[in-house]
Amino acid sequence: MTEDEPASDVEDEDTDETLAEEVEEVEEAVAVPPPPIEKVLAAPRVRKLDIVSRRNLFFLLSLVIIIPGIISMTTKHFLLGIDFAGGTEITATFSNNPTIAQVESAVASENIDGTVLATGGSTFIIRAAQLQPAQQTSVINDLSTKVGPIDRSKLSILEVGGTIAKETIEFALLAVVLAAVAILLLLMIRFRNVPGGWRAGFQFGGSALAALLHDVFLLTGLFSIMGAVFNLRIGEIDSLFVTAVLTVVGFSVHDTIVVFDRIRENLRVSQRLSFEQVVNLSIMQTAARSIITSFTVVLVLAAILIAGGASLKGFALALMIGIVSGTYSSIFNAAPLLVVWRRLQPVR
Amino acid sequence: MQLILSWPVRLLIIAILVFSIGVDGAGYVYRAVNHYPMTGNVPGLPPNYFGWQLYIHKGLDLAGGTHIDYQLTNFPAGQARSDVQQRTIDVINKRVNALGVSEPEIRGAGSNNDRITVDLAGVTADQAQKVIGRVTKLVYTKWVKDPNPANTSGPHPGYMPQLVGLTGDDISSASSTIDQNGIAWVVNLTFTSHGSVVFDNLTRANVAACPGDPATDPAAGCPERFLTIWLDLTQQDINNWDQPGVQAQLLQRYDSGGKQLVDAITDSEISGGQAQISGGSAGFTQTEASDLATGINSGSLPVDLVVLDVTQVGSTLGADSVKLSIAAGLLGLTIVVIFMIVYYRLPGLLASLALLFYAGAVFAVFKALPVTLTLAGITGFILSVGMAVDANVLIFERFKEEVRAGRTIPAAVDAAVRRAWPAIRDSNTSTLITCLILLFVGPAQIKGFAIVLGIGVVASLFSSIFVTHNLLAIVLNSTSMRRPALLGADRARIT
Repeated sequence: MTEDEPASDVEDEDTDETLAEEVEEVEEAVAVPPPPIEKVLAAPRVRKLDIVSRRNLFFLLSLVIIIPGIISMTTKHFLLGIDFAGGTEITATFSNNPTIAQVESAVASENIDGTVLATGGSTFIIRAAQLQPAQQTSVINDLSTKVGPIDRSKLSILEVGGTIAKETIEFALLAVVLAAVAILLLLMIRFRNVPGGWRAGFQFGGSALAALLHDVFLLTGLFSIMGAVFNLRIGEIDSLFVTAVLTVVGFSVHDTIVVFDRIRENLRVSQRLSFEQVVNLSIMQTAARSIITSFTVVLVLAAILIAGGASLKGFALALMIGIVSGTYSSIFNAAPLLVVWRRLQPVR
Repeated sequence: MQLILSWPVRLLIIAILVFSIGVDGAGYVYRAVNHYPMTGNVPGLPPNYFGWQLYIHKGLDLAGGTHIDYQLTNFPAGQARSDVQQRTIDVINKRVNALGVSEPEIRGAGSNNDRITVDLAGVTADQAQKVIGRVTKLVYTKWVKDPNPANTSGPHPGYMPQLVGLTGDDISSASSTIDQNGIAWVVNLTFTSHGSVVFDNLTRANVAACPGDPATDPAAGCPERFLTIWLDLTQQDINNWDQPGVQAQLLQRYDSGGKQLVDAITDSEISGGQAQISGGSAGFTQTEASDLATGINSGSLPVDLVVLDVTQVGSTLGADSVKLSIAAGLLGLTIVVIFMIVYYRLPGLLASLALLFYAGAVFAVFKALPVTLTLAGITGFILSVGMAVDANVLIFERFKEEVRAGRTIPAAVDAAVRRAWPAIRDSNTSTLITCLILLFVGPAQIKGFAIVLGIGVVASLFSSIFVTHNLLAIVLNSTSMRRPALLGADRARIT
């Protein structure tokens, strides 16, 4: 990774001329009001929004969403899906459109500690304690005699023992922690060549990590509220949700790196601007890209949310929340946080 | 940049394109050439390229079937756990073969070699557990005169088997090896101390029935000299020995419904608990010998199996999910393409072409490797489309900026790709790192997602940097294409 660094430096020297041009352009845009009319069109809309100076407002906004989520997580915990809670889940489609009450009474007579969830249509989800295969078969046979014929080709049975559930959670947590550490290291390495060296690199990596944790807490908090407080099935936590969290980690870092990369470039190019100005300029220059990319991904996810199978809906919603949050945090949290950190701990 | 726009790179792109079309379209070409309908099952598919079976491998949640995780307990003392695990896997494989499942997947797992994961397509959990967990009993019989004169068929006409009280419990292990001469394959049996006494008595009585060397003296080959190993042969079966059809049924290979494992002549009295079964004058092949050893071993699983979790997915449930996911994917892709073309005009169109290239290449890789696609995997693929778009958006936004800064269009394309590269590289590296971590420490259900996303990220990097850039460079070679309206850079100076 470090080997290609000198090569890219050489490349940059090749374009010294053009860089000098750009310095002028950038500084004009920021420092010389009011520019001629043509220049207003030509220069990006840099001065219209000053995000960095209003950072406390944005930090507050994030906290307003995250704190209730954290409270919900610590007091109400989560609505656990079958692969974390353990037990048996039978998804059965009846051909005679029974009511949920019919299915419930049939399940109650089985003495399997079962609950019934309607998924719309004639498909029902029955959750119960762990059942032996013979028990499962007898429950299904009983249901089809008491309630109505079950379509065997649409029958799904999920049985998860406590060991596997515990392991899945442990693996998932380990994966999140490892990914966070790896991303911090990657950013430190990639940003160590900004003025300030490794310490500055650490600030870049740390700020990205903070934005990443922001997204993880916001997402898990919202799902805790939806699942445990409002008891919505879409807020259920299962291994697909863990996948979503990890994907969000990836996307969030994507967005943050794009902003930080621009800061790195602008720091090199326009050395007469203050750090705050550079950060704000970089946010403005990359905002269009961040919003457009998230928008296209959200479009795809909306398609899954509307048209995709029931099992994917919670997953698509989690990704959607996480990706919007990731874009928000990269623009409104990560870069402003870098400014705050740099003020508290000046490097160079 | 010179490198990216060079001919070797363009040839590479064309080669990948040809490969993708060949792999993706192989089935349809075959159907067209042979005048088969374009959908449904036709003979000769999936296409086979030099031993490569090319088709999309569907996970259980898409194909329907049963997934079971077993915990192995009661390991026999003094044997390597990995060997015991492998032997158990072999036994399960044998048992599952009787179900006629296509591509059963039976893998060892667990940090301590103490887990086995079984994936069976198109089988219910109940069936699977019955077959895998069944307690099979291996029994020995000798042959005795059949009082029924109607018995004129079978391996020893006029004779019927008789249980001798020697069972699988008396055999401690069976293994296939090559014999002392290094030519033929044989199966070595080791009996327990009780088993070796019983076996010694049996073989002595056998040889006494018609003494001599059966290889040279035909008189020494009487049916009493034979010992036969069966799986699950019951007294009931023996009582019915002379009923029509019973013999033929019992004498089939045990994995196609029969019960006989091997019918072997006793060469000499065997004491000491070590016996060897050779393949007679024809000899065993390696496969035959190891099949037989596994068959004998599978009379008793070396360990106890405890079910940890079971997933059963109905066959049409999976098909429904596939349809929904593909519909969602296509819808999403269409929206993205429309958006890109409306917002970025010509570059958007070129990026959409690159996106098609990307989708085709990734599917070809899925088929060729192969990657087993699950529901989460399909989502990973759809997501990686988003990442592929991202790299293009980064380049195009940068392109607009460079044009505004007064660069000529070819120079702006060049600068846009070069300046966007560090961000694209770093962000995709972070995603790849996440994928790798998921692959190594993630729960099993998530690994498929990580593999698909990882392949997607690499392919999207290639398509956005190499394909989009080359398409742009080729198209913008023509000055008639350098129009502001086409490039979506209206307010910029165009030179």
